[in-house]
Amino acid sequence: MAILTISRQPGSLGDEVAEALSRRLNWDLINRDELIRRHLKSLIDPQDYHFLSESSKYFNYHSESLNMTYMQYLEQQLLKAAESQSMVLVGFGSQLIFADHPEAQHIRVIAPEPIRIDRIRGRFGVSEQDARQILVTADRRHRRFVSTVFSVDLTDASLYDLTLNTGHLSIDACVASIVAIRQELETMQRLKSEQIQPDVKLNQNLVPDFKHPAEIEFARILDMYQIEWKYEPKTFPVEWDAEGNVTLAFSPDFYLPQFDTYLELTTMNQKYVTMKNRKARRLRELYPGIHVKIVYKKDFQSLIERFSGQEASHE
Amino acid sequence: MSERQASGGRILFSSEQIHHRVCELGRQISTDYQGQPLVLIGVLKGSLYFLADLSRQINLPLQLDFIGIGTYAQSTHQKGIVRITKDLDLDITGRHVLLVEDILRTGLTISYLVRNIESRQPASVKVCTLLHNPEQQLINVPVAYYGFMIDRQRVVGYGMDVQEEDRHLPYIAEISRSN
Repeated sequence: MAILTISRQPGSLGDEVAEALSRRLNWDLINRDELIRRHLKSLIDPQDYHFLSESSKYFNYHSESLNMTYMQYLEQQLLKAAESQSMVLVGFGSQLIFADHPEAQHIRVIAPEPIRIDRIRGRFGVSEQDARQILVTADRRHRRFVSTVFSVDLTDASLYDLTLNTGHLSIDACVASIVAIRQELETMQRLKSEQIQPDVKLNQNLVPDFKHPAEIEFARILDMYQIEWKYEPKTFPVEWDAEGNVTLAFSPDFYLPQFDTYLELTTMNQKYVTMKNRKARRLRELYPGIHVKIVYKKDFQSLIERFSGQEASHE
Repeated sequence: MSERQASGGRILFSSEQIHHRVCELGRQISTDYQGQPLVLIGVLKGSLYFLADLSRQINLPLQLDFIGIGTYAQSTHQKGIVRITKDLDLDITGRHVLLVEDILRTGLTISYLVRNIESRQPASVKVCTLLHNPEQQLINVPVAYYGFMIDRQRVVGYGMDVQEEDRHLPYIAEISRSN
């Protein structure tokens, strides 16, 4: 099932975003306290329960009764729960527990420090100095938990698919962004499950059968630069009718394996250029991992001119 | 400098604008490399003035070299291959290298040069280009620094030429349509 993890700075409204998201998607919302309450409270004595609430180190302690660490047990329970229910998970390093989960997206919610201080002042009715101290302590605790349990810096941007700054975005805008991403991924998942994706044809064993002299010229230029290329190695369906029949497909002219990039030449008139731009746009939307570039007539001519007896510099 | 604009049309970047930006780039590069020795490699011939001005704004232990590429026809029926027409004089093994280019459009040439430089096992290779049009870029190259973004127009001056003319113009101008 789908998982959204929310890592948040204190005072960033990350908890509020998570709550609104949980309501909007009708998914369970689980934070650190709820996680411990659900899965550990009935199994451990009150003292251990208290320690878990207070100390990040305690999550790494080995439990005799569970025959594993508390964190290992919680991870096990969460992964099991994720098999049958979609969840919004807040904090406790959930972005690391589900780092490799195929249906998990990881969100980081942040805000500029002065705004976070203002929010903490508003919430607790404290002075600016006290609010700053609360913030420093809370930031340190969050980082320490993830660092102690997972040996990872939670502020590492590469852990997240999306970072939202509530200094500029409202809670509703954050929720809308996350939901839009979910919908896009669900569409991709649907296309995949309907086996539309396997329609992508592999042509790479075919001998190049160039359709246009410009393609031959371009292949020569790539050869000159010693850039490996494949001619029309794949056909990507980009539009379907209501019954799922492919109505528009796109076979970019060249694929450059070294750069994982597809190139489409447009050396003809404007109406074809418009169609090719549309196909390329659809391809980017439907296959986000695919890099496709259009080589426009003017750029192509510049390349040709460059090699008509002159040096290859001035590029 | 004379007011003659032989092949150039509208001035895109004046010599003052170029000087100001080159100073900024020099400061940024000096900061980024944090005192580490650097080899600046200018791509002939277009980077000539840019390299000369940029290098004098970099506050690091610095060595300069040039590389030139051209095409070599394998036969009368083929376009040939890109070849090195002026190779490096310095040994760059284990050195930090910054390739200095006048203009980066498709990225084919600079990509070739980056691969060539990388084969000599430097500590790092980055690219600094004076003019950059990411929309025209067909392949990814490690552009760490650029001076100005430009559109698809052809340009001349400050090292860039029209049939070997007008490289010496102190500004960068759009090439007029008659050329």
